[in-house]
Amino acid sequence: MIEDKLNRRTFLASSAMVGGATLFGLPLFARDASAQATKLIARTNGDISILDPGYMIGDAEIEMQNAVLPVLLNFHIGDDGVYGWQPSVYVEKFEERDPTHYDFVLKPGFMWTNGYGEFTAEDVKYTYERIKTTDWSGNFEALDRVEVTGKYSGTLVLSQPYAPFTLLGLTSGPAAILCKAAMLKVGEKFTTEFPATCGPYVFQWTPKQKLSLRPNPEWTGPKPAFAEVDVLIITEASAAELAFEAGEVAVTEITASTYSRYKDNPPPNGAIHVAGALQYMWLGMNTEHPKLSDIRVRKAIQHAVDAEQIIQGAYDGTTEKSNGIICPGLIGHRKATKYSYDPEKAKAMLAEAGVSGLQLELKTLNEQERVLAAQIIQSQLAAVGITVKVIPLDSGPFWEMGDDKKGDPKNLQIWLMRFGTNPDPQEATQWFTSDQVGVWNWERWKSDEYDALYKQGIAESDEEKREAIYLRMQEIMEDTGAYVWVNHEPEVVVHRKDIKVDVLPSGEMRFRAFTKA
Amino acid sequence: MFHYLLKRIGLSVVIVLCALLALFLLLHLIPGDPATIALGPRATPEAIARYAAKMHLDEPILLQFQIYLFNALSGDLGVDVFSERSVTRIVLEALPSTLILAAVGLLWAALIGVPLGCISAVRPNSWFDRLTGVISVATIAIPSFLVSIWSLLVFAVILKWLPVIGAGEPGDLADQAYHLVLPAFAVGLSWVGYLARMVRASMLEVMNETYIRAAHAFGLEPRTVVFRYALKVAILPTITLIGIGFGGLLSSALFAEIIFTRPGVGKLIYDMVMNRNFPVVQGAVLITTGVYVLINLGADLVVAWLDPRVRDSL
Repeated sequence: MIEDKLNRRTFLASSAMVGGATLFGLPLFARDASAQATKLIARTNGDISILDPGYMIGDAEIEMQNAVLPVLLNFHIGDDGVYGWQPSVYVEKFEERDPTHYDFVLKPGFMWTNGYGEFTAEDVKYTYERIKTTDWSGNFEALDRVEVTGKYSGTLVLSQPYAPFTLLGLTSGPAAILCKAAMLKVGEKFTTEFPATCGPYVFQWTPKQKLSLRPNPEWTGPKPAFAEVDVLIITEASAAELAFEAGEVAVTEITASTYSRYKDNPPPNGAIHVAGALQYMWLGMNTEHPKLSDIRVRKAIQHAVDAEQIIQGAYDGTTEKSNGIICPGLIGHRKATKYSYDPEKAKAMLAEAGVSGLQLELKTLNEQERVLAAQIIQSQLAAVGITVKVIPLDSGPFWEMGDDKKGDPKNLQIWLMRFGTNPDPQEATQWFTSDQVGVWNWERWKSDEYDALYKQGIAESDEEKREAIYLRMQEIMEDTGAYVWVNHEPEVVVHRKDIKVDVLPSGEMRFRAFTKA
Repeated sequence: MFHYLLKRIGLSVVIVLCALLALFLLLHLIPGDPATIALGPRATPEAIARYAAKMHLDEPILLQFQIYLFNALSGDLGVDVFSERSVTRIVLEALPSTLILAAVGLLWAALIGVPLGCISAVRPNSWFDRLTGVISVATIAIPSFLVSIWSLLVFAVILKWLPVIGAGEPGDLADQAYHLVLPAFAVGLSWVGYLARMVRASMLEVMNETYIRAAHAFGLEPRTVVFRYALKVAILPTITLIGIGFGGLLSSALFAEIIFTRPGVGKLIYDMVMNRNFPVVQGAVLITTGVYVLINLGADLVVAWLDPRVRDSL
C-alpha cells in the first residue's frame, strides 16, 4: 500500500522533528527582561473612553491625564500618613489668602504641543470655569471664578468657604488643565485624542491593546525615570498577575486573594505596595422596617456581628477593620467603635426587646467576597437566634433597591454595602444627610445635628476642628444602631523590586513620578 | 441549485432577524434601569438623561425597535455611548484578529488531523490507529479554555518561551505570529481530534468503494489513490463539519482571547459586557452572528455544489 512513502514511521518521525524544532526553537524568541530597563510596562484594567477631564469615565483616563496634562496641585502623603497636597512642578507658588481666595503663580516656559504656545493662567481660568459646566462639576461647585492677574498668575475665587477644595478639587482627575486655544479649536470637547498636551510624555493609543507614553520633545521640566511607558490593557486581574510572574508586566494592581498569597511569599523580584484604602464597607439596617424599627434590635445586631471574623474568613486578613465611614489617612478616621462583639449581650438585648425567632433578608452584590462575608454574618446572627436569608443580587437591582424612585426601600431589611471615597471626609459624609434618605441614605434616619455638622465640616479649614466634627458625625451614625462597620479594602499593586512606584490611594498610577530603586 | 441558493439565503436572513430581535430585547430584559446600569450608581441625572436620549430609551418600545432595526439594516450599529466611536468601526477593528486566530487554529488542526485520519483509515485497527483514536478523543474532551490556561502556564509562565498576553506589536508580523502560537494551539487542539475521527470514518467508507479498488487494480500509486481519489470524496462531510463547527471555534477563540488578553471580537464582547456598554455588545454579537451565518451558508453551498443530492434536501 502506501508504506513505502507515507508510512507511520515517516509520519511520526516528521511530526517529531517539526514539533521538536518548534519547541526547542521557541526559547530563541524569549524576550530579554533587560529590554524593560528604559521602557516601563504597566497594566490598566480597561481601555480609555473619554480623555476629556469633564466627561471621563475611569481610572485609565486619569492615569493618562496625569502623564500629559498640567495640574496646580499634586496629591501628597505626609510623614504622619495623613493625606494632603503640594504644588506641582508647573507651579511657582500656591497659597490660601483666605478661605475663599487661593493665589497661584505658574512657572514660565512650559509649552503646549501642536504649536499652541505657552501654558498660562488663561488656560487655568478656561479649564476651571469650563469644568463647572461638565459632568464632573461636583468638586468645583464652590468655585465662583478664576481671576487672571498676570500671564502666569491668578486667583481662584470661591463663592463660599469650601475646605475640601484643594484636596478634592485641585488634586483630583477633573483638575487636569487643558489648553484654551486648542480646546476652542476642537469645539470645547474631545474624546480619545488630546488637542494639546504639556507634560513629559505624549500619548499614543492602540485601541483595546495598549496606551503608550512617548517622550515629549518640547518638555522642559524634569525628565521622568522611564523614557517610555506602555500600559497594557488587561481586563482580568488574574491574567495581569500571570503576566507579572512571566516578567511581561512590571507593575499591576492585584486582587485581595492574590494579595493574601503574595503578602508572605511575594514572587521572585517582586514587591508589594499598598497604595491606600479608600473604600468602606458596612452592614446596613433599615430603621423604618417594622422588624428593625426597635433600636434595641439593631444594637443587638451590632453586638452579634464580628467584623474580624469576616476579614479573616472572606478577605484572608488583607483588609483593615473599619470603625466608621472615614478611611485611614483621612481627617476624622476613627480608631474604635462604641460597640463590641458580644453575642451574649446581643441575646439579652433581643430578649429585652421581646423579639424571638426573627427572620431577616440580607441582600448583597453577587461577588465572591461579599457573598462569603454575608454567609459569615448569617452564621453569626444564627448564633443569637436570628435567621438570615442571603440574597445575592446583580448590580442593576442592587444599586436601585434603596432608591425611593426605582427600588423597594420599604421592604429592604439588611444589606452589605461598600462605597468608595476620595481623600477628604466630606465625600463620605455627604451620603447620609437627611436629604439623602431614599437616595443613598438607605438606613433612612435623619439628624438635624448631623446635617448641621456636615455644613460646618465643609466650611471649617482648621484641621483639629474638622477632625472633631467628622468624629462626632460618625458617632451619630453609629448611635442609630443602623451600621455594623466591616472593613476598608486596600488598593494593592505588585511591582518589580527595581522600581519605586507612585500610586494614588484610589489606585491610579502616576507614571511620571515612577523612579528606579 | 438556484432554488436551493434562494431558500438557503432566505433562511439566513430569518436567522439574522431573530438575532436582531433577541439582541434588542436583551437590553430590556436586564433587571434595573439600563442607563443606571451602564453609567454606574453615582451617575448624575444629566448623564443618565443624555444616555437615555442617545439610546432612545425615552421612546415607546416599538418605536425603539423600529429605529434599531432600520439603523442596523442600513449598516448603522450606533455609537459607543462613552467614546462616541462608531460601533461598526470598533467591531470591524477587532474582527480580523478573531478570524485570523480561528483560521490559524483550524489550519494547523487540519494539517495534523487530516493526515492522521487518512493513515488511521489506511491501516485500521493497527496500534497507530488505536493511539490516534485515544489522542483524538482526549483532545476533543479537553475544553479549549483548559488548554489555554495550561499551555499559558507551561510555555509562558514557567518556561517563558512564549508571551502571556497581547497580539504583538502592530505592523510587526513576526511578533504577531509569535503571539499567535499559543492561542492558535489552544483553539485548534480539539479540532485535531474532530478532523482525525471524521476523516477516518469517511475514508473507511470510501476506501471500500469499487472505484477505489479499480484505481488500485489499475496500478496507481497508493498515495495518489488515497489523496487524489479517496480523500476528495471523504473530505465532503468534513467541510460541513467545519462550517457548522466554526461557531464553536469562535467560542474557543473568545476564551483564548480573554485568557491571552488578545484583541478580538470575543474579548471585545467580554469587556463591553463588563462595562455594560450595550450598543457595542449588540453590534459585536450581531456582526459575529452574521459571520457565523455566512460561513455556514458558504459551507452548505459548497457541499451542495459538490453533491447534487443535497440540493433537494432543504
